[in-house]
Amino acid sequence: MSKREGSLPPRLESIVYTADGDGYDWRLAWGIVAVLLVAIPWLGAGTFELRILIGVLMWIGLAQSWNMIGGYAGYLDFGHGAYFGIGAFVTGIAMVSLSLPFLPALVLAGIFGAVFAYAIGVPTLRLKGAYFAIATWAFAEAMRQLALLLDITGGTSGLTLPSTMAAFGIPLPDLPRVIYLYYIMLVLSVGVVVLTYVLFEHHEFGYKVKAVRDNEDAAESLGIDATRIKRQVYVLSCTTAAVLGGAYAFYITFVHPQEVLDSMITAQMVIMALVGGLGTILGPIIGGALIFLLDRLSALYFGSDTMYISLMGLLIMLVVLFAPDGIVGLLTGETDASDIRSNLNSLLEKFKFQ
Amino acid sequence: MTLQTNADAETQPVLVAEDIVTGYDGHEVLHGVSIQSHPGVTCIFGPNGSGKSTLLKSLNGVVPVWSGSIQYGDTEVTDLSPDEMVGSGIATLPQGGGVFGTMTVAENLSLGAFTVDDPTVVEERKAEVLEAFPALEDKLDAKAKSLSGGQQMMVSLGRAMMTGADTYLMDEPSAGLAPTLVDDAFDLLETLVDRGARIILIEQNVVAALRLADYIYILAEGDLQFEGTPSELGQQEDLMELYLGIE
Repeated sequence: MSKREGSLPPRLESIVYTADGDGYDWRLAWGIVAVLLVAIPWLGAGTFELRILIGVLMWIGLAQSWNMIGGYAGYLDFGHGAYFGIGAFVTGIAMVSLSLPFLPALVLAGIFGAVFAYAIGVPTLRLKGAYFAIATWAFAEAMRQLALLLDITGGTSGLTLPSTMAAFGIPLPDLPRVIYLYYIMLVLSVGVVVLTYVLFEHHEFGYKVKAVRDNEDAAESLGIDATRIKRQVYVLSCTTAAVLGGAYAFYITFVHPQEVLDSMITAQMVIMALVGGLGTILGPIIGGALIFLLDRLSALYFGSDTMYISLMGLLIMLVVLFAPDGIVGLLTGETDASDIRSNLNSLLEKFKFQ
Repeated sequence: MTLQTNADAETQPVLVAEDIVTGYDGHEVLHGVSIQSHPGVTCIFGPNGSGKSTLLKSLNGVVPVWSGSIQYGDTEVTDLSPDEMVGSGIATLPQGGGVFGTMTVAENLSLGAFTVDDPTVVEERKAEVLEAFPALEDKLDAKAKSLSGGQQMMVSLGRAMMTGADTYLMDEPSAGLAPTLVDDAFDLLETLVDRGARIILIEQNVVAALRLADYIYILAEGDLQFEGTPSELGQQEDLMELYLGIE
């Protein structure tokens, strides 16, 4: 991989090249972004702006989390939202029933996410294409029904979490709660993105994952244990979703099955990764920020969800027909928007529908 | 690295499988088959369902052997896992070759040697691959899916060479190739043989494969029906017609 040091050309495509691990040195630009993100609560951002940013960060993290299994591994996971819900409920139960502080509760959320992911991944990862999507979708629906029935999850009345920073786990100076929540989401979301970047773009592990996605037989012929690789990706991606779910529970302070286990959560993650660009590091960042803001704007101007859902449907159609590699694919020039037949096949192949 | 001659093939470790009995879920497919890798290309022919693929999978460790033994040179390899087989010098080429389409040719080749820690060894092998398939030199940074069918075959053969194998197991390398490319694909196999490799090849396209076969086994219903050189097979017209459909 070539790296051109010291040059910082203002071309947008050069940002995208770094998504593939080569191209220009963008450490300075990313450094400025990082400083801005850390400084924003002190630069006049109020509660409203911070809440919007918390949403943007969370959805970037969730889209990136889905991107690990959906984009890099090519498994159309329609049950990913279940892990977000599991993380939210485990955090809630740990904080309410066990009176644990937030930090250990969040660790528990991650552990439960990993255990569930392993147990579900072992049988379902044997399936391919639409069958994997159906199985994981069924699992997520089952989890929602279960959460509505059980006592420990609060059933149909949900769980209410402690709403002060005293429950955080470490004594903190007296600052508005939203600032702390912003930093919690910032650390988790950036953590997921950096983890994805290091593991999937700069590590042998990522090459193995892509090899298994592109051609499982060929990967195994080289001695790559495809079953193991797929399980590792699935557990990793589900665990990150569970941790983000735990942070969301502490942020909203109320956990209800119809909300944190809503199938729209999975749909959002899929759309964000798809629109941004599957299997790229930048795709979910672009898609997550864009779609979340679109969601908020549509709520602002149209009120109900109806318009938003119609917009999403239209967007999916456009992406499938004209931009199978999302916005990133269009920016790098790898996608030929006019070649509809090849665009359609590209996605079907990616998710092993044929 | 100079071009190796066929004479070197005599000194390569020989893969010897004796009395292989195996199958799936209690259903016996092979009833005691003995084969070995001969210098050059060893072809296994037989009708559908004869156990050819199962035999190959037992040789590379994918299907565990119920009884019998597999030796590679002086090493016992009967119970090795597929990745241990790759490590001991036996590479498998999947059906139709198969490349990692979204990765570059260079990345495809590097993945072939992912178990090798010494970068100089990797570079040496890469140089060897480019010497064998000079057409790949200009394509190193191209996505593998953008290559022609013939070039993709070079990538998958090159990737297998990167494992450092001396023996190659191939299950229908020509599968899925355009008919006009099948002969080219077999020419590429000759390149490997010229460099001293031994190949065990399963192929439906008997006529094309006979052209480069040095030794032939015919398998039917889980038992060997014939073994010998192509000229010996040529004298057995009934076998040719019965199992290979050649009149």
